[in-house]
Amino acid sequence: MDSITTAASVVAAGLAVGLGAIGPGIGQGSAAQGAVEGIARQPEAEGKIRGTLLLSFAFMESLTIYGLVVALVLLFANPFAG
Amino acid sequence: MASETVDNCSSHDPLLDMDSLDSLSGVKSDEYLELQFRVFRLTFLLTIFSVGIAGFFWGIQASASLFIGALSGILYFRLLARGVGRLGTSSKIVGKVQLLVPVLLVLVSSRFPQLDLIPALLGFLLYKPALIIQFLSMP
Repeated sequence: MDSITTAASVVAAGLAVGLGAIGPGIGQGSAAQGAVEGIARQPEAEGKIRGTLLLSFAFMESLTIYGLVVALVLLFANPFAG
Repeated sequence: MASETVDNCSSHDPLLDMDSLDSLSGVKSDEYLELQFRVFRLTFLLTIFSVGIAGFFWGIQASASLFIGALSGILYFRLLARGVGRLGTSSKIVGKVQLLVPVLLVLVSSRFPQLDLIPALLGFLLYKPALIIQFLSMP
């Protein structure tokens, strides 16, 4: 792998993780805030709120995982490496 | 005197009745655990189905990679569920430990030639159809 490809891969991996984590991070924060407020207001609905929060988190965090996987593939199993 | 006050509160005010609060908490955690078990069961069924299909069409190596990826996905979901279960009680944030699971999966897949990366990643994502099915079947 030549030096330009290596440098571009490292920069792209950093961008993939960094930019890919911004949106899910904001979304998870606001979802957790809403869930904790909801549990505090309605403790009898805690099970349903936690279940919905778990499903939402799993969907949101998959966006982070996609970026993470792209970054790891670029770093450890780069298809552009000659 | 204090015990009489507590007894009076617990017998007259349902909001301060600790026994009913405990039983309510048990019902809530049961509901949450039941949701997790349903998702795990669906993921296991999808894993068995997919591993069989992959073994039939693409061979034992792809099948083994898919199986290891699916186990990683189940572990990831279990860690995420534990983090969400702790939110608001013993922790103020959801931990990020579960993100180590796909990292380790990709590292192990790229390190060992017996494992393929793409089937392992597809296996890791098998919890997602189970979640979608669960989400659609929720009332």
